[in-house]
Amino acid sequence: MKNILKTKELGIGAILLLVCIIITLINPVFLTADNLADVLKANAVLGILAVGMTLIIITGGIDVSVAAVTSAVAVAIGHLMLYLPDHPVSLVVVFAAAVFAGTLLGMINGFFIVKFSIPPIVVTLGTLSIISGALLFITNGNYMSGANFPEVFTAFSKYEIFGISILIYILLFFSLITWGILKYTVIGRSIYAFGGNSVSAVRVGISMKKVQYFIYGYMGFLAGIAAVTQTAYIRAVDPNGLLGFELTVIAAVVIGGASILGGNGSIAGTLLGTLLLGVMQNGLILARVDSYWQNLVTGTVIILAVSYDHLQKKRIDAQTAQIEVK
Amino acid sequence: MKLLKTIRLSKENTLGFVLLGMFLLMALFVPNFLSAGNIKNMMFQLPEFGILSLAMMVVIITSGIDLSLTYRAALSGVIIAMALSAGAAIPVAIMFGLLAAVLCGLLNGFFIAIVGVSPILITLGSMILFESISLGLTKGNSVSGFPPEYRVIGNGAVGAVPISLLIFLLVAVITAMLLNRTKWGRGVYMAGSNPVATLFSGINTKRVLLLVYLYGALLTCVAAVIMTSRYNSARVDLGSSYLLQSVAAAVLGGTNIQGGYGKVIGTVYAVGIFQLISSGLNLLGTPRTFVSVLMGVILILVLMMNYYYDKLADKKETAGAAA
Amino acid sequence: MNHFLEMRHISKTFPGVKALHDVQLLIKPGEVHALIGENGAGKSTLMKILAGVLQPDDGAEIKLDGEAAAIEKPLDAAEKGISIIYQDLSLFPNLSVAENICIGKTFGRSLFSRVNWKTVRETAKKAMAEVGVKLDLNTPAERLSIAKQQMVAIARAIAFQSKLIVMDEPTSALSNTEIEMLYRIIENLKAQGIAIIFISHKLNELFKVADSFTVLRDGNYIGTYESSEINEDKLIALMVGRELVKEKYEKHPTGDSLLEVKCLSKRGNFKNVSFTLKSGEIVGITGLVGSGRTELVQAVFGLNPPDEGEIVLYGKPYKPVSAEKSVKLGIAYVPENRQREGVVLKQSLTNNMTITCLEKLKYRIGLIDFSQEKRLAEYYMESLDIRPRIPEMSAEQLSGGNQQKVVLAKWMAIHPRILIIDEPTNGIDVGAKSEIHRLLRNLAKEGMGIIMVSSELPEILNVSDRILVMRHGRIHGEFSAASATQEMIMSVAFKGKEDEKAESLQNA
Repeated sequence: MKNILKTKELGIGAILLLVCIIITLINPVFLTADNLADVLKANAVLGILAVGMTLIIITGGIDVSVAAVTSAVAVAIGHLMLYLPDHPVSLVVVFAAAVFAGTLLGMINGFFIVKFSIPPIVVTLGTLSIISGALLFITNGNYMSGANFPEVFTAFSKYEIFGISILIYILLFFSLITWGILKYTVIGRSIYAFGGNSVSAVRVGISMKKVQYFIYGYMGFLAGIAAVTQTAYIRAVDPNGLLGFELTVIAAVVIGGASILGGNGSIAGTLLGTLLLGVMQNGLILARVDSYWQNLVTGTVIILAVSYDHLQKKRIDAQTAQIEVK
Repeated sequence: MKLLKTIRLSKENTLGFVLLGMFLLMALFVPNFLSAGNIKNMMFQLPEFGILSLAMMVVIITSGIDLSLTYRAALSGVIIAMALSAGAAIPVAIMFGLLAAVLCGLLNGFFIAIVGVSPILITLGSMILFESISLGLTKGNSVSGFPPEYRVIGNGAVGAVPISLLIFLLVAVITAMLLNRTKWGRGVYMAGSNPVATLFSGINTKRVLLLVYLYGALLTCVAAVIMTSRYNSARVDLGSSYLLQSVAAAVLGGTNIQGGYGKVIGTVYAVGIFQLISSGLNLLGTPRTFVSVLMGVILILVLMMNYYYDKLADKKETAGAAA
Repeated sequence: MNHFLEMRHISKTFPGVKALHDVQLLIKPGEVHALIGENGAGKSTLMKILAGVLQPDDGAEIKLDGEAAAIEKPLDAAEKGISIIYQDLSLFPNLSVAENICIGKTFGRSLFSRVNWKTVRETAKKAMAEVGVKLDLNTPAERLSIAKQQMVAIARAIAFQSKLIVMDEPTSALSNTEIEMLYRIIENLKAQGIAIIFISHKLNELFKVADSFTVLRDGNYIGTYESSEINEDKLIALMVGRELVKEKYEKHPTGDSLLEVKCLSKRGNFKNVSFTLKSGEIVGITGLVGSGRTELVQAVFGLNPPDEGEIVLYGKPYKPVSAEKSVKLGIAYVPENRQREGVVLKQSLTNNMTITCLEKLKYRIGLIDFSQEKRLAEYYMESLDIRPRIPEMSAEQLSGGNQQKVVLAKWMAIHPRILIIDEPTNGIDVGAKSEIHRLLRNLAKEGMGIIMVSSELPEILNVSDRILVMRHGRIHGEFSAASATQEMIMSVAFKGKEDEKAESLQNA
């Protein structure tokens, strides 16, 4: 089984590699360090959110409010930054405010899911509606330029280590942390247990409530981080910028091999899924495909990927069910 | 048990009373609510949303969800609009639109019913796919310029009743009939609760499910005709705001998101409630964005109520079983 | 000897109903104690109280090792050395064997504490060694057979350092070999001083394993008996409150051939299977679990299309491609897993019963006639005595026996010529069991051909006319019910392989 899990990720990796080769053949620019770094940087926000979404999908839940939460936090810190002095501490304040606001919003989702046993998709649909409505109500959809942000924030957004943007390090850092949580903490294993069999999870004494509060809260936490990352990336705040982005996030997780029915999924897979989406997007641009048609490929890949995964699982199940005929 | 049955029935009825109560409240407190203009507006706005919500409801009863719903409507609308502006006769243009919707439905249906992949994933992919096709066809522009006769569908009225409203009522009645009084409809509910036991009862669950997505395709095409006719144009984001709202309407109407339960009348009431709120707030000068907030609040509130209601019913049930 | 567990004056009142009335249960260390009673007798309520899932009414007295103990939540029970192995085993299909064993206790209390994988693997290894089975600790549970999953569940109880393990119907999904293995493990646990509460409907097997019996009936405590002072018939009498007459069924003349299966094969399922079914005949198919019985009958019903071979149905060649087609031709199938494959739990009894025959209930423009549908539902509830008689009720509220009758009703409604029934009385209490047996005999008498798959030999011997025994996907023997004995069937079911075990089973 360990092999099956591995092959799942290897499979995605192989597809990714293949796509990379094809794109390079079409347009060698793809393989330049600058372009690759750009792809990573452009998908840092997607990656961070997808990492959080992975935990939720492993439990069999879903959160369609992530993009709205991220936008809300981005607007909040955008306004906050107008009042912050140009001092390194401001950066800390921005991060702290962002994760606080994000976690709070995530916990609200968790509250309704836990307290009233409302299916996650419905709760987050509701909060999506509320948050995005309120956001547009407050901002009138107005774009907020980064010109008035503290200098230190602009510097931070341009900061590079070994020529690689800080935003990529943020993604890697939180991926690593989340991987560690999943693998080496009781809560991480409880998340898998909950997704595998929620009834048994309660019987062995796992608190479903705590697990759910944690995953939705943690999703909010990462949405806070993603909000800072997004603001740094575009150096502005666009309340409409992430409209519908939640579905791309879910797509990345699912392409990464997580099962929407719960129980399976990994951070490595999700990162590969994110990369695959990012690389395809980049490849289509490099191949000079008319931008209007680009999503045709994305949609087709999603359908084929999930179908392939499903058929693969069915095949393995059929094999396990076989009996010894003599 | 009798008691429980009456409570169960009243889930939809309660919603009906809420609708009535809200109507009365708004009539009393919202200026111009009963004006001819507002009533007319409401009657013209409601059908497209209502039809889409019914399409969503049927899918939710099978324990699925259709994220591609509005994008399929948009694609169908774009095709109709392009055909019309290219000079095609109205029936021919609508046939093209229907063909597009049915092909989309077949695509979803094939992967969901035949291959067996989870609906949320397939429709997530197909939604991106359909959107891209619409975008590619229109280059992001809106397509307009329809013959005046076409505009009658969405804007005309028989006496005081809009044609589109009549179409919606017809769709609602047909959907209710199909769900309640045909073998297919029974299969939809049964397979929504337990597809394996339903298959083992000799029901072709694949066909049932495929027909669900084809029926959904038919309804989206009807909605697309009404929308394009009413707006006199078609764009890639035609009706996209209805996507999550249609899920909300179905759930508010009592449809179980886990499948197996849902009634047309409940969804119709829910659609009516949403329409009242959105028109009422509009008259009060509240920005449109606030309507979205309120709808989210209502959705969550109703489910919280359901939670307490179910708890109550559970207690009654154990008491009933004991007696 | 002192008791490890003493439960006295246990009552439990649900709103409007008294599920348990002053019940007691005393368990000595290292004994195997069978808890028996019909469905609804209160066994599971009592076990839920022991597990901390339910709280007893005031006045209850629970002592562990002679000291009063409060079990307020599932975790309390686990900490006090009580493990419950539910019928579904409570494993996590996606987690490894090692993790399944250690999750909960070994992992540590706080959600944020670190998982020490080395300790986890060592604990799991030790527990598996005590069970006496070697398994790859990294295999996820979903890749294991039910029997091996059961071993994992037991290993988990051992790793929790349990002093009392409750096993709820542990043998219902096991083959006879596997049951033997389970008994060996139980002996082993006993030797270590671990007490076991064993819940089962199969009385004959209980006598092989249990030291003492506690009988419940209608929520009342009937008594506790040493296994030496009681026998099967007495237990049944105590359980049902009356002597149950073992019915002898008369055999009827059989009619035309309904079904001829010739050299049917399917890769990984069964090979070269041939048999016939005549009208008025009950053909019993038995064999170990995993011998291809269910796969074979599902193939005939169209759920599992065969690779090779032919089927002749009513004298004409027949290709079983779908359940839909088979049903149209008058074949009915009652599956083994009632709750998953038989009834649709969340739907009404009417919907469950009429799903097969909606076409017959049409009127005017092809719409379903509700009043006719209701009459039909009421008719079958009456004639099969389904209780409570409320057609609008959802199927999940019925007992197992009544659910099985609902499944039968849906097939009676199409008047099938052939009825395939898989484990007809699995998990059904004694009363309903004999009702179902009688129904099957009556249907055969009226000319239906019945294929009955069953692991219960008394059932096979009493109900069928002819018996086929399967082993490793092939039919290895055919007996007429009149001349067959349990021993003959067992020896065919085991033949060649593991002779010793077959013998030990025969002797037991």
